[in-house]
Parts: sequence; C-alpha cells; structure tokens
Amino acid sequence: MTQFVLALVLGILFALGTYLVLRSDVVRVVWGVSIISQAANVYLVTMGGLSGSVPIVAHGGGHGHVTDPLVQALVLTAIVIGFGTTAFALVLTYRTYEAHGTIDLTEVSENT
Amino acid sequence: MQPNQTVLLAVLALPFLGAAVTPLVYRALGERTAYFAAAIAGGCLLLIASQASTHGSVTLPWIPSLGVSLSLYVDGLALLIGFLASGVGVLIFTYSGGYMHDEPGQMKYYATLQAFMGSMLGVAFAADLVALFLFWELTSVASFLLIGHYRSEESSKYAARKSMLITVAGGLFMLIGFLVLHGVAADAIGTATFRLVGSENSMLAHADEIQEALRSAGLLVPVLLLIGIGAAAKSAQVPLHIWLPNAMEAPTPVSAFLHSATMVKAGVYLVGRFRPLLLTDEWMILFATLGLVTMTVTAMLAIAASDIKELLAYSTASHLGLIVAGYGLSNVYGAETGAFHIVNHALFKAALFLVAGIVAHEAGTRAIDELGGLRHDLPVTAAVTVVAALGMAGVPPFNGFYSKELLFEATYEVALHDGGVWWLLPVVAVFGSVFTFLYSIRFLMLFFGEKPHELGEVHSPPAIMLAPPVVLGVLAGVVGLGGVTSTFGVHLTPLTDFVTRVVESSVAHGGGHEIHFGYHLPTKLKPAVVMSAITIGVGLVAYPFFDHLRDGVRTLRSVPLLSPNFYYDTGTEALDETEFVTTHLQTGLLRTYATALVLAVSAMTLGAYAAAGANLPAFTGVGLALPLVLVLLVAIVGAFAVTGAPSHVAGVLTLSILGFMVAIFYILASAPDLALTQLVVETLVLVLFLLVLDKLPAFYGEPSRLRSARDGLVSVVVGATVFTTVLLSTKATPNDVIAEFLAKRAGVPSEHGTYLLDWGGGGNIVNVILVDFRAFDTMGEISVVAMAALSVVTILAMRERGEVQ
Repeated sequence: MTQFVLALVLGILFALGTYLVLRSDVVRVVWGVSIISQAANVYLVTMGGLSGSVPIVAHGGGHGHVTDPLVQALVLTAIVIGFGTTAFALVLTYRTYEAHGTIDLTEVSENT
Repeated sequence: MQPNQTVLLAVLALPFLGAAVTPLVYRALGERTAYFAAAIAGGCLLLIASQASTHGSVTLPWIPSLGVSLSLYVDGLALLIGFLASGVGVLIFTYSGGYMHDEPGQMKYYATLQAFMGSMLGVAFAADLVALFLFWELTSVASFLLIGHYRSEESSKYAARKSMLITVAGGLFMLIGFLVLHGVAADAIGTATFRLVGSENSMLAHADEIQEALRSAGLLVPVLLLIGIGAAAKSAQVPLHIWLPNAMEAPTPVSAFLHSATMVKAGVYLVGRFRPLLLTDEWMILFATLGLVTMTVTAMLAIAASDIKELLAYSTASHLGLIVAGYGLSNVYGAETGAFHIVNHALFKAALFLVAGIVAHEAGTRAIDELGGLRHDLPVTAAVTVVAALGMAGVPPFNGFYSKELLFEATYEVALHDGGVWWLLPVVAVFGSVFTFLYSIRFLMLFFGEKPHELGEVHSPPAIMLAPPVVLGVLAGVVGLGGVTSTFGVHLTPLTDFVTRVVESSVAHGGGHEIHFGYHLPTKLKPAVVMSAITIGVGLVAYPFFDHLRDGVRTLRSVPLLSPNFYYDTGTEALDETEFVTTHLQTGLLRTYATALVLAVSAMTLGAYAAAGANLPAFTGVGLALPLVLVLLVAIVGAFAVTGAPSHVAGVLTLSILGFMVAIFYILASAPDLALTQLVVETLVLVLFLLVLDKLPAFYGEPSRLRSARDGLVSVVVGATVFTTVLLSTKATPNDVIAEFLAKRAGVPSEHGTYLLDWGGGGNIVNVILVDFRAFDTMGEISVVAMAALSVVTILAMRERGEVQ
C-alpha cells in the first residue's frame, strides 16, 4: 500500500542529506552521505512491505505471511558496506586535514 | 609457402611480454636491462627472418560477430617494416645501454620502448583494419610516453602532448576512413569485411570493385582524404609535421628509433599498403602533391635548424615526403622509390641520429653553430657520418642516390605521360632535393673545418654506443656499393629480390608485367641523371651561401601566419583557456559535481515519470502504526539537528539519534537482523567519529546566505523526487512476491529431521539468503570491508612514513 508517511520522511531525509553533502566542511559531507545511505536502506525495507511477521520459519513447520527477506538481506549487506565506507571516509578526512591543514573543501581546492 | 601462425603470434607477443616482465628484469639486472631488451628485439628479428620466405596470412577469430579477426599477413612490405622495427630495435637497445647510463626512469623507458617496437610490428603484420588501427594507436600512446620521458621538463610535456594530439587525432580520421571502406566493401564484395589483405574476400582482392563502388557513391575523395590525414599525421607531412621536431625532446635512441624504423614509418607503410587498393588519378594528385610539398618545405626548414637533432627531424619529414611522393606516383618507379627509400632512409637516418646522440653526449652541445672539426676526436663517427650524410644528400655512389634517381625518373615519366601541369613534379622534386643536399652537407661539416675554441674536450664514445651506428653505416655503405658492383654486372641479389617483393606489395594486382627491381650507377645520359646533376651542381654552388639561405628561411618561418605551429598553439591555448570549463564545470569542488549529479538524476527521474504518465496516488490515510510514526518523527528531528548542529560533536551525537531510530524502525518493521546490525554499526561509527573528531579542528564555517538558499533549493528538488518515487513505487505490489518463494525453500523440511539439507536449510530466511542463496554477495561484502580496512591502514601508515620523507 502507498506509504505517505514514509514518502514524506524519506523525502526530508534525502533533502537534508543532500544539503549536508553540498557543505564545504568535509565532516558534514560525511554526515550527509551517512544520512542518505540510511534513508536508502529504510526505503529498501519499505519496498519489501512493512506488514507481515518476522521472516523466520519454525523448524519443519509452515509459515504465515512474512516480510520480504530479500530486501532485508540486501540492506544488511548495505549497512555493513556503509560502515566500511564511512570509516574510510573518516580516515580520508583525517588525512585531508593532515595534508592541507584544513577540512574546508573550498580551501583545499584553492590550495592545490 | 604459408607463414607459421605460432611464429607470427610469438613475434607480436614477445615484445609485449618483454615489456611486462621488464620491472622484474630491471630489479635483477639494473642498467643491463638494455641487453635483455636487445635480446627480445633480436628474438623478434630471428622469428621474422624464419618467415622471410613465406607469403600469405594466418587468421585468429577475434570478434566474429562483427567480422573482426586478428589476421596477420606476411608479404614484402610487412617483412620490410618488421625487419626494420626489430633490427633497428636491436641496435637501439644496445646503444641505449650506453646512452641511458645514469638516466632516470630506465625501467619505464625499456618497457615502453619494447611495447613501442611490438606495436610497430603489429602495424606491419596486421591484415585487418581494426587490428591495424589498434596497433596504430598503440604506437601513438607508446611514443607519447617516450617523448615525454623527462617528465619534469616543460618542453618534454609539450612535445609529448603535441605528438599525441596530432597523431591520435589523425588516427581517428583514419578510423572513419576505415569504417567507410568497411561499409562500401559490403556493397562491392557482398560481405562487410574489415579484412584488408590476404584472403579471398579481402578488400585488396577486389580493389577494382571497391574503387568503382567508392567512385559511384562519391566517397573516393573523402576516403582518400581521411586515410591521407591519418598517414600524414603519423608520417609528419606538411602541415601536420610540427610534432616531429618537438619529438626530439625524447632521449636520442628513441628519436633514432622513432624516425627511422617505427612511428613515422607507420604512415608511409599505410600509404604503401593502400596504394594498390586506391591508386587512381585522385590518389596521385593527393599523395604526390603532399609528398613533394612536404619534401621541399621541410628540407628548407631543416636548413633553418639550429640544433642537430632538429635538423635531422626536419630531414626525416622531408624524406618521408619523398617516400609518400613515390608511392603517390602511379607508375612502377613510384612504388620502387617508396620501397627502396624506406630501406635507405632507415639505414642512414638511424645512423645519423645515433651519431647526433654521440656528438651531444661527448661534446656536450647540440647547437650547430658551436660544433665543428669533430673528425679529430671522433674519427669512426666521422666515417659513419660521411657514408650516411652523403647517402642522405643523394650523392653517388651512396645509397640515397639510387632511390632519389628513382623518384626523379618517376616524376619525369608522369610528366612525360600526362604533360601540362604535371611538369611541376620533376621541377619541385629537384628544387626540394637541392635543399636536402645543402643540409646534408651542413651536417657533414660538423666533422670538418676548424674546431671552435669554445668547444671543450670531446671524449670517445663507449664501444656499445659506437657499434650500432657503425653497423648501420656499413649496411648503408653496402647498399651503395651494390649499385656500383651491379653496374659491372655483379648484383646484390638478396637486396634487390627483397625490394622487388616490397614493391609487389604496393603495386595493383593483375597489372600484368612482372617487377624486377634493380639499381645501378647511370651508364647513359637519362633525364633523371640530368636532374641529379642539376641538384648536386646547384647545391655545390649554393653551399657557400648557406648562411644567407638559412637566414632567409628563418625570416619566412617567423611569420606566424605561415607556421602551422602558430595555429596549433593558438588553437590549444584557446581550448585551454576556456574559462567556462575551469570556473563552472571542472571546479575541483565536490559541491559543483554533486549539484550537477543530483539535479541531473532528479530531472531524468521526474522526466521519466512525466513521460510515462505516472499519476500520484490520492491520499488514503496514514496507514502506519503509531509507534512507527513516532520513531520516524524522532529520526527526522535528529536529521534536522544534524544539519543545524553548531559543532562537530553535537552533529555526531544527533546523527547517532537518527541511526538508533532507524534501528528501532527495523525492529518495528519485523527485521530483527537489520536492527542488530544497525545497532552494532551505529555504535562503532559513533566511536570512530569521536576518535577522529578529536584530531580535527572544530570547524563551524557558516555558509553564506545565498549559498544556503541555493543548496536548499537543490535539496528540496532531491527531496521532492524521492517523495514522488517512494509514493509511486509503494503504490502497487506484485502479486507473486519473492518472499513466498524463499520462505518455502529456506526452512528445513520436516521429513529431514534436524539435518540442514536440500535448499537453504535454516529457520532464519535472511541468514539463509546471505550465507547460501547469495553467498557470493556476502563474500563481496566482506571483501569491501577488508579493502576499507586495508586502505585505512595504508593511509595511516603512509602518513607516518610520508612525514619522515
């Protein structure tokens, strides 16, 4: 069924994430990317349908209506990879500061 | 006899394999890598020699669906270029062993030079237009790297860029020509083929039909021009010759190789190869004019040169002009000129470049005015120069004389046959040759006359630098002597037979008459002899006025509108300084790129919805349990707090609120695995952020109001796009959900008791998917995390080491 609330929430989250990505402070850019990837994960789960029980079936038994396990598997992978990229982005931020003495992207690009 | 497929493939593979292992070899051998590379070239030479008596083609399928094959073809012309590239290659590598002593970047140098030789061999043997084009562009790339060998020199970079731009751009014209030929071949032969030569259905086997089809479609002149531009760019024909003099920025062995046996010879090879396919009146007008104009103009420019390598560079362009002109002329002498002069030019030009390298190395200068009387210090080099420079000048009985005679004969025959304006050909040929004579003598005079006082002590070159030019000089001398002996009936049969085969490659099939190439000193007074006499006579008379001539040419050269360099420089600078690109498109700021990207994606998405006529669903109620709504509300509040966070720490903490709310959302959405993962990751990320923030400045940069407004607008567009997308994509759900499919297969069937069998065999469907159904995805995910961890370690370690340096 149409998810009006989630549409609104995801729209806002993407908008805020985009706004942060456009900042010149590298740390804020990392936050922005983080928010956007969180929102994308939520969107994927929403796509699988929110109704239904936990996708775990009893041993040998039947099962009722479960939520879509495939999107959950995808999102699980995405969360872990998102962690990897966030960690990497943070270290790059640190390295940028080491190399340029600033984490302002405008200044970094002016200095190079 | 058919060529051996394995051997031919080995010829092509060997240099590239050699290039690939060069880093390892260099580690083991150091500067002696030169001899390894020479051995590779020698191996190629032997392999090619083993195929010398064969004729025909071998074919490997490559892209069968497009009719592209890796076909290799062996005939006189292919063998000639193959012998030159590998044979001169052996000498160049040997010489490099001395010349490159203590030079930077030797590993890259030897690897690239081997790849350069390999691509040239590819050009020589490729029988398929696609393969030919591929190797053709590889030579451009390799020469780009070699010309730009001294990477820190501005002039090197300029020269490398220039050669790349001109030769690759020319190659693209040629590619269009090839594609047109491919299309026309479909009509003319019946099959669309890229095969140029060496099979029943090749273009050359149907030359007449293709010419006819091209002419009737009005494409003959365009194709000639397109292929002509490709060849002219590669072979430095006027006005595209300008990259060649700059290319002397390369180390001298590279120059010698590039000028004598590779790169520039690719252009004349192409002309010789296409000659039987496209030989028409239009061909003759185009290539004879191009060749003779180049020969004359660049010979004049050579006189104006102030540097010995510059002189030789212009002279190369001039001699290539001679070869192109020869191939341009429609009679058999023309083809003989082209074929024989390729041999002669390679011999004397490689020798002279190596001589120039010795002079520059030992005398410490390349300026013509500062050099003189070198014969005392460099007697062997001087002897080589006598043979090579007089050959270049076209003085009998040295080798260049015979091929120049052939050119004179060819132009005279054409003029006699066609009359009228064609009489210009022999006149221009003689005029250009006078200048050739002049600059050749000027080069020779470096070794004679008085030694200037400023010139310090000149050392003898090491033996490995001396041996290659001596070998080349002796070969050039032998070719010259062959002409003398054959005057008395003793022919240099191996050479003349071979040149005959080369000529046959460039003569239209079914011409009827057999070709018997031979050359000797003139025994009776022919027009060509008179023309040679005029050339040498005028040259001798004019030589005392060399300085005046040189100043005259320099004055002409300095008129910007007459110089193609002026157009090149203005053109590239105009492109370079297009401020719009640097200030608006390529700003180097993430913001610019991100804005362009998200706006483009939003526009395309919304546009696609509009085009598909998607209707937004009407509001049907919240449809979401209250706890979920509350959790999402808190998440939104958290996200707003992040955006407006006054400090980094506040931002990170509020970002965590968002993250934990998302985790609760997962719990409420019946996704326990996600919730667990999210909680763990969110905790770790919080710790990581705090660790890093500790090292970073507390940056509170306030963006300007204008910029905030602009970015806000972009964000709203993105938000609206996402809103629409979510609405549209959640509106309908497919009936046959994949969840059912997986739920049926994941669980352990009851009859199996406690065993995990058959499909996934596990109660938790998500886990079964991850470790079983889509296990490779999970492996990829783990690799990503591992790579991220490795990168983090590397970056941190690099920092510590980098600070020590």
